[in-house]
Amino acid sequence: MCRRAILAAANAAIISITCGLSPAPAADRKFTVALIPGLTTDTFYTTMRRGAQIAADALGVELVFQGAPDFNPVLQVPVLDAVIARKPDAILIAPTDVTQLVEPLRKADDTGIPVITVDTFIGTGMYQIGSGNADFPLSSIASDNVLGGRMAARALADAIGGEGAVFVANNKPGISTTDQREEGFKTELAAHYPKVVVLETQFNENDANKAASQLQGVLARHPELKGVFGGNHFSALGAANGVQQAGKSGAVKVVAFDAPSGVVDDIDRGLIDVAIAQHPAEIGYYGVMSAYAHLTGQSIPVSIGTGFTVINKSNVHDPSIAKYIYAD
Amino acid sequence: MKQIITENIPTAPSKHVAPQADHADGTRTVMRYVADLRAWLFLAMLILGFEVWSRFSFGGTFVLNPFNLQSIAIFAVAPLLLAMGQTFVIIAGGIDLSAGFVMGLAAVVAAHVINWANPIMPMPMAVLTGTIAAVMLAGVPGMVNGLLVSRLKVPPFIGTLGMFGVARGVAFLLAGGTTVPVNNSFFAGLGNGRILSVPYIVILAAIFVLLMHYVLSYTRFGQHNYAIGASAQAARRAGININSHLLRLYILSGFCAGLAGVLYAARFSAGAAQAGEPLLLDCVAAVVIGGASLFGGSGTILGTVAGAFVIAVIQYGLVFTNVAPFWQFISVGVVIIISVLIDQTQRRMSGGRISE
Repeated sequence: MCRRAILAAANAAIISITCGLSPAPAADRKFTVALIPGLTTDTFYTTMRRGAQIAADALGVELVFQGAPDFNPVLQVPVLDAVIARKPDAILIAPTDVTQLVEPLRKADDTGIPVITVDTFIGTGMYQIGSGNADFPLSSIASDNVLGGRMAARALADAIGGEGAVFVANNKPGISTTDQREEGFKTELAAHYPKVVVLETQFNENDANKAASQLQGVLARHPELKGVFGGNHFSALGAANGVQQAGKSGAVKVVAFDAPSGVVDDIDRGLIDVAIAQHPAEIGYYGVMSAYAHLTGQSIPVSIGTGFTVINKSNVHDPSIAKYIYAD
Repeated sequence: MKQIITENIPTAPSKHVAPQADHADGTRTVMRYVADLRAWLFLAMLILGFEVWSRFSFGGTFVLNPFNLQSIAIFAVAPLLLAMGQTFVIIAGGIDLSAGFVMGLAAVVAAHVINWANPIMPMPMAVLTGTIAAVMLAGVPGMVNGLLVSRLKVPPFIGTLGMFGVARGVAFLLAGGTTVPVNNSFFAGLGNGRILSVPYIVILAAIFVLLMHYVLSYTRFGQHNYAIGASAQAARRAGININSHLLRLYILSGFCAGLAGVLYAARFSAGAAQAGEPLLLDCVAAVVIGGASLFGGSGTILGTVAGAFVIAVIQYGLVFTNVAPFWQFISVGVVIIISVLIDQTQRRMSGGRISE
């Protein structure tokens, strides 16, 4: 009972669902799928949850959403442990570290809970290949962030006419997704836009105020600056404000990664020129679908790539684009 | 902004001698002047250093470039506003760890209220309503902090750490886990406009700083603050109502964070729960670099202003001089350590208490 009480505190939501159920699956039992985001306080993951919930409702699956407030393995692993202890039928997780989450997730696998990674991954992201210590997850459902970075590079290079100085405003190093975006961005420019000069990356630790100041610092040093790529929401928001404060709106192009609801206004007002939207709802939807398929005896693909949508002034109010704006 | 501050330097220290130092002898008073000025000396050295650096490495000027000054001033506004309340709290021997997330909460509330008020009143009225609502609401966590610390005797570090979590959670709940866009051109103009090339938010911050300087240095509230920080026992025996003072103190800190949140929302046309998260340590650092002692009893608003600018100049200057990003952390860290070392040395030399 004591143990139950502790777990109840950690994960109250699951209790009412699994309490009293026998471990052996009944023929008509309701499946429980847990979705553990990289962090709970990011609109990307709340959007992913929305997609997952839509699939769960359609399939009659119970969806549990539990996570830590920061993108940090130290905070995520206890949440994962609490979820494993309640024995859901499947775990969808956005691992916060490629190596540190391997052993904690193996515990789930050892207990017989299938693991599917969403957005981020463990090991190399290549699963079920019979080699390496991190190939046990069934599937990786994610957008290819390197590709997203390449798309951002193309959008920015085209916006500045294929030449001039640009830089990357990024959160902080060591996060697989934002690192990959930066990598893709630089690779694409180096390969196809020889006249674009990429200046030193500026890390703002997700602080829009600092990102704005850094943009102005770079601009003061390099008045010839033509563009900036904001690798995540607050980087782009801050960089756009820095451009505005410097009176350079339009002259310095801003490409943003991710598309939370505010980006519509920012594009309308010309603060942000292009936004590269991921499809988090799609990731959540196919995560739950894949888990259900596996639980009902179907085979599932080891990797599902979700796409990107380029949003700019010309299409931001197009109804077919609106579904890619992140929202709960 | 810089102009205003610079003119104030010479008059600054004499006005902020804590009450317990009133009977100090001449040497001690001189040492206090030096201590109070050291953040400004630090700032001057930094600016000079960056000036020399950029002239040699890049052939351009650092400090004479108005664009740089403007950028640094804008950058310093948010941490400075948080640091205003923090200066009061730290001088009284406390700390307010909730300030960063109270700022985020206020930014979210301002965004929501302005969006709600937009259709039913003229734009400036909507902004005023949102501002008042956000600042008042930011006073609530401040009040809880104050009650915890004063009536329930919870150590400030723990009580405000609790409110750090509460404010964070409430802010994210209100924001629905996302950023809340504001669509009000008057508000955006307030956040990004300027008069005679000085941004409005910098002017607002400067006025607020002068007000806080007045309150701390020339009012009974300010003097009580020093007295409580120097010795709560003595202050109580002198008849100061410590409980009510502490309550008002933490509410003040909440208001400062609230104002910072409103200005954030104005600037970015969005309220974000995590707006102030990275600023918490910067604001504490600004207060410490500015000469306040974490043991309470000393510190000045003008010192904190210098402290905030020291951090802003380092971070901006290293981008301007194109230094690899991680040096920023190291530099700010080193400056904090050096400032505390100077503070301790000065106390030892002046025969003051080193730890209490």
